[in-house]
Amino acid sequence: MQAYQEEYIANLKEIAALADRRKPEALTFSAYELRRRQKEGLARQKVKRNVELLRGGLVPALDHLFEAKEEEVQELEDFAAKLAGGVDAGLFRRIHQALLSLARLKRDRTATIRELYWLGMGYYWLCNNLAGLDLELIEKYVSRMRLCFTEAAAYLKYFDEIEDTETRGYILRSRANMALGPFKSQGGKIRLVRETLRIMQDEHYQEVEPNLPWERYLYMTHQQMASSIAHDKSKVMSPEDTASIMESVYIVYQQRIQEAEAQHERPTLRWAFPCCTIEYYCGLYDFGRLLAKIEKLLDAADPEDHSPEGVYGIVSLPAFYCQYLMQEPERIPGRAAYVDGLYRRALDYVDSFPAEEQENLALYLWQLSCTYIETGGGMSYGAFLEEIMLRFAPELYLHSRMVAAACRAVCALILEEEPDFFDDMEGIADEADPAEKRRKILDAAVQYGLLHDAGKVSLLQFFAQTGRQWLEEEYEVARLHTMVGESMLRERASTRPYAAAALGHHAWYDGSAYGYPAAYRRLECPGRQMVDVVGLMDWLENVTGSGQASSGIEMSFDEAVEEAVALEGRRFSPLLTARLRDKQVTDRICQAFQEGRREAYRRMYERETNHVCDAGNGMN
Amino acid sequence: METVDNGGRVRRIEELERENEAMKEALAAAEAANQAKSRFLSNMSHDIRTPMNAIMGMTAIGLSHIDEKARVQDCLEKIRTASAHLMSLVNDVLDMSRIDSGRMTLSEERFSLADLVHDLAVILRPQAEQKGQELTFEIGRIEEENLVGDPLRLRQILVNIIGNAVKYTQEGGAILVRFAQRLAGEGRVWLDFLCEDNGMGMSEEFLQRIFLPFERVRSGAVNQIEGTGLGMSIVKNLVDSMGGRIEVESQEGKGSRFTVALPLPVSPGNREAALPAGGCVLVAESQDRRSQQLEECLREIGLMPVRVTAGTEAVTRLTEARYENRMPWAMLLGQELSDMQPLDAAAHVRQLAGKEFPILLVSEGDWAQMEYRAVRAGVSDFVPCPLFRSRLTGALSRLICGEGEDAGGTGSRDADYRSYRALLVEDNELNLEIASELLGMTGIQVETAENGWKAVERFAAAPEGYFDLIFMDIQMPVMDGYEAVRRIRAMERTDGKSVWIVAMTANAFVEDVRLSRQAGMNEHLSKPVDLERLQDVLRRQFG
Repeated sequence: MQAYQEEYIANLKEIAALADRRKPEALTFSAYELRRRQKEGLARQKVKRNVELLRGGLVPALDHLFEAKEEEVQELEDFAAKLAGGVDAGLFRRIHQALLSLARLKRDRTATIRELYWLGMGYYWLCNNLAGLDLELIEKYVSRMRLCFTEAAAYLKYFDEIEDTETRGYILRSRANMALGPFKSQGGKIRLVRETLRIMQDEHYQEVEPNLPWERYLYMTHQQMASSIAHDKSKVMSPEDTASIMESVYIVYQQRIQEAEAQHERPTLRWAFPCCTIEYYCGLYDFGRLLAKIEKLLDAADPEDHSPEGVYGIVSLPAFYCQYLMQEPERIPGRAAYVDGLYRRALDYVDSFPAEEQENLALYLWQLSCTYIETGGGMSYGAFLEEIMLRFAPELYLHSRMVAAACRAVCALILEEEPDFFDDMEGIADEADPAEKRRKILDAAVQYGLLHDAGKVSLLQFFAQTGRQWLEEEYEVARLHTMVGESMLRERASTRPYAAAALGHHAWYDGSAYGYPAAYRRLECPGRQMVDVVGLMDWLENVTGSGQASSGIEMSFDEAVEEAVALEGRRFSPLLTARLRDKQVTDRICQAFQEGRREAYRRMYERETNHVCDAGNGMN
Repeated sequence: METVDNGGRVRRIEELERENEAMKEALAAAEAANQAKSRFLSNMSHDIRTPMNAIMGMTAIGLSHIDEKARVQDCLEKIRTASAHLMSLVNDVLDMSRIDSGRMTLSEERFSLADLVHDLAVILRPQAEQKGQELTFEIGRIEEENLVGDPLRLRQILVNIIGNAVKYTQEGGAILVRFAQRLAGEGRVWLDFLCEDNGMGMSEEFLQRIFLPFERVRSGAVNQIEGTGLGMSIVKNLVDSMGGRIEVESQEGKGSRFTVALPLPVSPGNREAALPAGGCVLVAESQDRRSQQLEECLREIGLMPVRVTAGTEAVTRLTEARYENRMPWAMLLGQELSDMQPLDAAAHVRQLAGKEFPILLVSEGDWAQMEYRAVRAGVSDFVPCPLFRSRLTGALSRLICGEGEDAGGTGSRDADYRSYRALLVEDNELNLEIASELLGMTGIQVETAENGWKAVERFAAAPEGYFDLIFMDIQMPVMDGYEAVRRIRAMERTDGKSVWIVAMTANAFVEDVRLSRQAGMNEHLSKPVDLERLQDVLRRQFG
């Protein structure tokens, strides 16, 4: 690898290490705060350096790719290999996209197949980070992934003509990977996997290429079939589909469960849960019995077990359970206490983990947030989201707290001059008591600010990869957080009022296409004045702080204010930017950001040290 | 008091009673006429409002996209269509007396049935969409697309009938419109038109009066719908004047079915674009009805359709075909695929099959709305639905044989850019060679500069308006692309500000896109150069 590539990889590791949240042993709050700021500054420098490295090394390499020597191309391949998986999937795709163009230009069949496979994998990692979102939102990326695998798999017809084992392996793996990701029709997926199973079992292919791990391929294809179940009971599967699935389920789960039981061992929950849900979908028993079976598994999960099995039982399984419960909401009231208990157990469990290992739990906890059921007496969804941000996305939490504090400060200033400014918001105009009205508005401002980026909780893995500026495609993906957030907040009663902020905080005041998403129609939104406030505060915080790394926009606070005023009437509401001309107002906003920052640090400190802190004095 | 004899008195009373009766009748007639006139005046608002809504709506859309030339142009086209309809309507209302007295004249001019049907779709689809109705246009056997007749009156007949179907069909209902032709001999064809809906239908009693002026179905639901009650009367008169037949069947609560048959002369000298026979064309469409139509059309022009229903299936077929050197002549990409969005499939097919492979989007959608995304995805041309053979043949022959002028398709893949001149700024020799060659193929005149400094010199030395376009690399020795563009934009000559500059660079971070815009560039193309996108730039810029 070239020097810039090695330095880039090293920087990514350092940035990840800086995000590590080991217990700040024996630190006063002031020292903790100082250390966090130092770490943030250092991470920002590393990100900057990474961008420089790519500009100086990768960009010219791609620029001259068509005349690159073989070893230079190989170095790019090696570099990309280091970025695979969750390291830097965006850059991985960018490099393989370029290498695929080169392979196509040279009409190099072997390279084309290889690059298609890896580009497909690049999209698979992206889709994995977007798992759980509506297919409609991510269909483009799923299609890109599937088409790469499809094209590579099409060479199966010429399997005998392919000379090397590696390329044959890419073809077969591509064939199997065509079934990755969500499908419009579950029947389509089942047919696809069934055909892959037929291919994997075809003796001809095995004779032509005996060096491939056929058994592993076959087993993994059975796994795919076992997961092909239609989770919508209204879509009745054909008897043939049911038979195919049950056969794979036997190979993947039942056989193992039986073997474990024969040796008097407890079958793992990872086998037992899918097995019982599949049996339910295949019609072996009813919904009530399914719930009872899952509850039995949940009760068997061990909160002391920190292995993947324990995480599955304590964090993932409750998420799946709640997903089922939501299918028949009338069953929820009778189980409210049970559900609350599951959430509390999951959070306690996460707390009991060593801090350095908590990072890996983000995905599982996110599953829990997606299927969260508000039972009335338990934790509200907003509070749960705040917990997740605090634990797994401290940068997001910091930003949200700062925006919340600034929103509250701005609203307070506005209310002093115009008490009716926010009267369009639901339930505000009817409030007769001025003090109560003010309190309601200021409380709402905090919640609007705190939850405006809730959608990022569903994209935690994606937003976690911030070792450089975003590429265009990543920026496009990042924009999804507005719609995802709106849908998350809208679905739960306690957070419904704040859904508009999640949707509209990147929209432009003039409705122009520079803003997003198109689904936000400012004039139809009763809370638009508050959304305007959130949009402005979010932007100010982003360009002066947390958003610099991914966007490359860096401004001082004064420059940002000047720019916001310059965008008056276009990006920002003139009713708000007019106030930015007053130095006292901008000073107050600046101060509120600092207060928000300190408040966020305080909560992080308390969570990490289990100490209650008097932020003013600093304490152990 | 006057005294009269008994007989005289009786006569006088009788006279008075007669006068009274006559006056009563006159009053009733006057009231009836007045009511009819009032009803007419209040009801006619609908027929006028329908095209007015289209005009106002498209004006609003145009104003909100004032900087997008293509979009504004499209809006203006639609406004022109609706205005023409409005004008014809007003004329017809004013001419009603002429229709009644049989003094109406019909013009005889050459017109295209395809244009007529597409106009109908443009006018009526938005209304149906607004009510969530499924408005389907089907084209049966068409002997001749170019006919002779009075297209304005013909359109009036059809808009009235289909417009009524939309009006009197509930939200979410379905309306089927079908056109077909039969040979009538002596250089004429019968144009058969059918409009069938599952709307509220009409009573037996009303069916007897449907073609009388000012008659409308009277019911609670209908009273909510505006109308003059004049439309069907005009339709009947027009159809009769054209020597045609109109029939209507209806059942209350179930729907109506109008059939019209009109004899029309065929326009002499029709010539359809020629295509060599026997080639294979891939049809990617999951919807059976739409696919059948496409396949039939292809067979009629001597081509062999091969249908796929999924994007993955298309990619598999094309990969195999390319490997075996038997690529189809083109791919017709329909409106729906079973597994993905058609444009996502198009983007991959473009990469797989190369820049020359024709991908035609065949869609009922509004091209202006989807053009930007479609062209970026690699779509070569667009054929609007309802599908007419001439449109498909024209687009295919342009793309396959490089023949024929625009026959209604909207793309211009092989457009001639010889009158334009581009400055290509690139320090890398191979990249320069590839880009020059490609641009040369389009006909555009290309001059080159090997760094930003040379580019600035070149531009400054050229007369104003000499360069129409600049492709600018970013990272170059001596002077980078940003600085070069800043200097060009700062020049005190009008084209310094206006010349279209496209960044061509491997810098693909969001910041780079922003920086290139800030430096004054208009677009951003990432490297390695996507050859297709170079052509897209030309297409968008010079249309």
